[in-house]
Amino acid sequence: MNRKKVMSLLCVSLLAMTVVFANGTAEKGTTATESKAPEKPLSVMIWDSNQEPGIRKLIDDFTAKTGITAEIQVVNWDNYWTLLSAGAEGGALPDVFWMHSNESQRYMSNNLLLDLTQRIKTSKEVNPDDYPADILGLYTYNGKYYAVPKDIDTIALWYNKKLFDEAGVAYPNADWTWDDLYNAAKKLTKADGSVYGFAKKNTGNQDGWYNLIYDGNGYVISRDKKKSGMDDPKTIEAMGFMGKLINENLMPSPQVMTETGEDVLLGSGKIAMTTQGSWMLAAFRDNEYTLANCDVAPLPKNAKTGRSASIYNGLGWAVSAKTSRPDDAWKLVEYFGSKEAQLKQAQLGITMSAYTGTSDAWKNSVPQFNLQAYLDMQKDMVIRPYSKNTVKWENAINDCMLKAWTKEMTMEEACKEAAKQMNAILAEE
Amino acid sequence: MKRQDLRHTTERNVFFWGWVLILPTMVGLIILNIYPMIKTVYQSFCKTGDFGRGNIFIGTANYAKLFSDPEVWQATLNTFKYMVVEVPFSVIIALVLAVLLNRNMVGKSVYRTIFFLPMVAAPAAIAMVWRWLFNSQFGLINNMFHISTHWISDPAIAVYSIAIIGIWSDIGYNMILFLAGLQEVPKEYYEAASIDGTNGFQKFHYITVPMISPTIFFVLVTRIIAAMQVFDLIYMIMDRSNPALSKTQSLVYLFYQYSFVQKDFGYGSTIVVLLLLLIMVITVIQVFAQKKWVHYN
Repeated sequence: MNRKKVMSLLCVSLLAMTVVFANGTAEKGTTATESKAPEKPLSVMIWDSNQEPGIRKLIDDFTAKTGITAEIQVVNWDNYWTLLSAGAEGGALPDVFWMHSNESQRYMSNNLLLDLTQRIKTSKEVNPDDYPADILGLYTYNGKYYAVPKDIDTIALWYNKKLFDEAGVAYPNADWTWDDLYNAAKKLTKADGSVYGFAKKNTGNQDGWYNLIYDGNGYVISRDKKKSGMDDPKTIEAMGFMGKLINENLMPSPQVMTETGEDVLLGSGKIAMTTQGSWMLAAFRDNEYTLANCDVAPLPKNAKTGRSASIYNGLGWAVSAKTSRPDDAWKLVEYFGSKEAQLKQAQLGITMSAYTGTSDAWKNSVPQFNLQAYLDMQKDMVIRPYSKNTVKWENAINDCMLKAWTKEMTMEEACKEAAKQMNAILAEE
Repeated sequence: MKRQDLRHTTERNVFFWGWVLILPTMVGLIILNIYPMIKTVYQSFCKTGDFGRGNIFIGTANYAKLFSDPEVWQATLNTFKYMVVEVPFSVIIALVLAVLLNRNMVGKSVYRTIFFLPMVAAPAAIAMVWRWLFNSQFGLINNMFHISTHWISDPAIAVYSIAIIGIWSDIGYNMILFLAGLQEVPKEYYEAASIDGTNGFQKFHYITVPMISPTIFFVLVTRIIAAMQVFDLIYMIMDRSNPALSKTQSLVYLFYQYSFVQKDFGYGSTIVVLLLLLIMVITVIQVFAQKKWVHYN
C-alpha cells in the first residue's frame, strides 16, 4: 500500500466516524427534548466582565428555583452595540440583554424590545414604584415599559491617601469645593511629571465633566431634546475649571491618558485624584494597590451655586421582541428585578441596585472604602443626558473637547464648536 | 451525421458539467461578495434608517458631503501613508530573509517558523502586545532605551508606529510566498553565473529578482490591497481620546465609525465606495506597469 492510499483511507474512515457520531448525538438530543420541555439555555448578553461572576451567581440561584437555565455572553462595550444592532437587523437578538440610555430610544421606537407593560402590572415581584422614576423613564416609550431597572450609578471622587500624606494635604471631604480640588491638585502635582494631581480624559463625560456643568447650573441638552446647552454661558464657565487644570498641567497629557486609563494611573500611584462611577467598585476592590491606598469621597461642590450634582444612569434588563420563549425570558428578568436578586446584587458588590432601600447592603460590601460617598451623591442627581441619537452628538462633543484637552482650542471655543455640531445633529433627529 | 451528434453531446456535457463544478464557488461569490457589493453601492445613495429599515433615496448627497469632508481626505492620506511605509518594507525585508533562508544552513526550519509565527497569532492579540510595548509610561521600548516617546499618541508618528506592527506581522507570510518562488529557480543558472565570476549581489539582482518577479508582483498587488484596507490594528490601538486619532484613522476605520458606531450606513457605504475606486485604480495601474518588469517564462 502506498502513502496516498493510506491517507485517503484515513480520510474516509474519519468521515464515516463523524457521520456515525453525529447520528449518535442527534439521537440523544431528541430523547432529551421528549422527556423535558426547556431544551436550550436562555441567552443573556452583557458588556461588563467585572460584573460577570456576580451575575452568574444570580443566574445559578434562578436556575435552582425554576429549572430554567441561562448562559451569559460578555462582549465589551464597543462591540456590544455593533453585535446587538447586527442581531437586531438579522432578527437574532439574545433572549435577555442589558439596555443603556444611549441606545434605548432607538431600540424601543423600532419595536425590537418586548413590551413588558402588562407583565409588570400583573407581577408580584416587580412594582414600578420600587425603582427611581427617572431610570424606569429611560426604558418607557409611549407610556409602555420595555425593561426592568437593573442598577443605579452615581459618581464620586477617588483619591490616593498615600500621595496626600506625602504632600501633607488634607483628604477630600464633603465640604470641598472644586476650588479646593484645584488647590490640592496644585500641591500634589510634582514638577518632574511623576505624579499629577488629577486626571480625566476628554471622553470622561458622565463620570467627569458633565457633573461640573450641572454643578454650575449649566446643561448639556435642553429638556425638549432639541437644543445643545454646550454654549450656554454657565456651561462654558463650569468647563473653564477643566480648562484651568489642562492649561496649568495639573493633569497628565491627553497622550498619557489615552494610552493608560485613569483607573490604571490611580492604581499605579501616578495620579492623586480622579472622578469615577460606582460601577468601578469591583475593579478597585480587586486591585491590591487601590484597596490598600485609595479611598472615595463625594464630588466637590460649586462654590457659587453650592450644588454638588451627580450624573446618574441605570441599566435595564430587556427582552428581545422576537424571543422564542418570552415567558421564560420574562421570568429571568422578573427575578433580576425582584427585591431578593437586587439585594443580592448589592451584597455581592456587583453594583448599586436600582431597588429602593437596597443601597446599604452595597455600602457594606467593601468596608475598606467609604462607599457612603456614592450614596450621598444621590441627594442631587441628574439623569445622564440622552436623546434618540445620543452616541452621534456625544462623539461630536468628545472630538471637540479633545481639541481643548490638546490645547489646540481654548475651552470656550471648543464648547461653542461642540454646540454647533450637536445642534446640527439634533436638527436631523 | 452520427459523429456530429456525438460532438454536440460532448459539448453540451462539457458545458453542463463545467457549470455544475463552478456552481458552489459562484453561489458563494454571489451571496457573500457580489450581492453585498451592489447593495453597498446602492446604500451609498441613501439616507439609512434605524436597523436597516426605512432607507430613503437621496441621490448623490452623500457624495457631495464626502468631497467636502476634510476628515475623509485626511483618512485617505493616512491610509496612503500607512501603505507607502508598510508595503515596501514588508516586501523587501521578506525578500532578503527568503533569500537568506533558501540555503542549506543549520536551523533553517526553526528560523522559517519563527518568522512565520506572527501570521499564526490573532491580530487582536498582536495589537494588544504592541500596545503595551509602545506604552509611554510602562512600555518595554521606552523603559529599555530611557526615552519618553509617545509612539501611538503623537500625531506625527502614530501612523508609522502602526505601520511597524503591520510590517512585523506581514514579513512571515510574504517570506513564505517568496521561498516558494525561489524553489522554482533552476540551480544551473546560479552555477553558470558563478563560472562567469559574479558575486552574490549580482546573482540576486540579475537572476533571483527577474526569475521570481511574478511572485513579487503577486505579493505587491495583494499587500497593497490589504494595506489599503488596514483596520484591526488601528481599531485595537486607537480610541476617541487619542490626540493622534485624526492623523491615524484609515478609510476603513472611518467607515466602521460611521456605519457601526454612529449607525449611518449611507455615509459609511459612500466612504467604502471611495476606497473601492482607489484600490481599483491602483491595481489597474499595477497590472499595466507589470509589463515593464515582470518576466514570465
